[in-house]
Amino acid sequence: MKNAGATALLVIILYALQTSILPLIAYHGVTADLMLLFVTSTAFLKGARVGALSGFAVGVLQDIASGTFLGVNAFTRVLIGFCVGKFSDQVFKEQVFLPVFASLLVTTVNYFILALLMILLGYRFNLMGHMQYTLLPMLIYQLAFAYPVHHLAYELDKRYGKKA
Amino acid sequence: MSGKYRRNNNKGTGKKILILIFVLISLFCIIFFAARGRFKVPVAQQVVSVVLTPFQGAISWVGSQLNYVTSNIWELATMHEQNKMLRNEVEQLRIQNLHASEYDAENQRLRALLGYKQTATQFDLVAARVIGRESATWSSVIEINRGTRDGVDVDMAVVTEKGLVGHVIEAGPTSAKVQLLLDPRSSVGTLVQRADSRVAGIVEGDMDNPTMPRMVNIPKTSDVDEGDVVVTSGFGGIYPKGLNVGTVAEMRNDEGGLLKIAVLEPAVDFQKLEDVMVITASREAPPEPLKTPMQTPGTETDPAAQAAEQAAAANGDADSSSDSSSSSSSDGSADSGEGSAQ
Repeated sequence: MKNAGATALLVIILYALQTSILPLIAYHGVTADLMLLFVTSTAFLKGARVGALSGFAVGVLQDIASGTFLGVNAFTRVLIGFCVGKFSDQVFKEQVFLPVFASLLVTTVNYFILALLMILLGYRFNLMGHMQYTLLPMLIYQLAFAYPVHHLAYELDKRYGKKA
Repeated sequence: MSGKYRRNNNKGTGKKILILIFVLISLFCIIFFAARGRFKVPVAQQVVSVVLTPFQGAISWVGSQLNYVTSNIWELATMHEQNKMLRNEVEQLRIQNLHASEYDAENQRLRALLGYKQTATQFDLVAARVIGRESATWSSVIEINRGTRDGVDVDMAVVTEKGLVGHVIEAGPTSAKVQLLLDPRSSVGTLVQRADSRVAGIVEGDMDNPTMPRMVNIPKTSDVDEGDVVVTSGFGGIYPKGLNVGTVAEMRNDEGGLLKIAVLEPAVDFQKLEDVMVITASREAPPEPLKTPMQTPGTETDPAAQAAEQAAAANGDADSSSDSSSSSSSDGSADSGEGSAQ
């Protein structure tokens, strides 16, 4: 229970940071996606089931709070949480660099799933130009913020995970 | 024993994957229903908004304080250089000030001569501070610290002193979400301000260029040039007429070849959006008083003169002895009516 409360608080603070402070350092309106980083780290630390659940919860929160296309973030984050969690069973969880660099791959996959959804919804855009404008800066931001977010998720897991 | 364990484990994994597929298909359906406006979660939005707003407000405040402190430190670091530049600037400004005083006096005189009056304020505005900005790649939505308690409601236009920002898409008690002009879902009825053009079109967000919206549905032969100012047309009921949307930066041909697209430089700098105003009520400017149009001589009509003529005719029935005098008096009143009309 304590673990769930602490996790919820961390998610809310990360979301508030993402929407209030990070826009100050945004490049063309693009900043780091802290929620995606959090889902990736949680999936690495806790496995597929918790990864998919946290992906769903975080995605729904982000969809409802941000006013974006309802369901898109929940969709991508469930999928990513599950896949990363499945992969995490085969790696050593204490190491740090894999989740950090995996965030790049996860961000790219997330981008392409969202792009596909947008095309299915009927929006047309130049993929190469859009990638240059949004994906590349976002990857740089993700690389910069991946370690701090992973560290927070790791500390939270260490403190409350074993008790729960 | 291990075989049984493996079978159970495989069974568990299969169940998990089935659940995952069910969740993904459900979410897929929700995405498409929600995108067409057939699925909404207003209560959940209100709850999330109420929970998140204090955190966003607090962190936004911390951010603005940090911004203030860092800008102060930067100013201290560059103070010496600034001091030199400011001394030079002061000298120049003193000279300019003399000229400005002259212009000010001239301006006041001209204003008095022209009987210039400040345009009456047409809008009721509520000032709001931006407390959150969704950094999603696919949409542009900001959150402001005013909600239904302050009179803000859905579909109200949001502006700055420079021009149109967007419109409110959700309003909670203490906060509201504003869909920016840059959002690809946004569409604003607009027209070119230039008097000899007045071409109408729709301005919408462009996914290819998230910082510059585009005006679409412009006929190929229409008169739109780079540098033209685009304002809201007032059609659609959300945006009042005449709000500055932006300037045409580039003209392109549509993919179909029959229409043109104008890429706009927005009037508002969306990257530096801190304070906005919500238009809670708008009134049309009072119409000019009606003037009687010029009438062709010999065919004049005047309601007052006609009424007088009818009254005279009625009097004529009562007193049949003065037929000629009544007709001459009605002619006279018609003459006087035309005069007053003119």
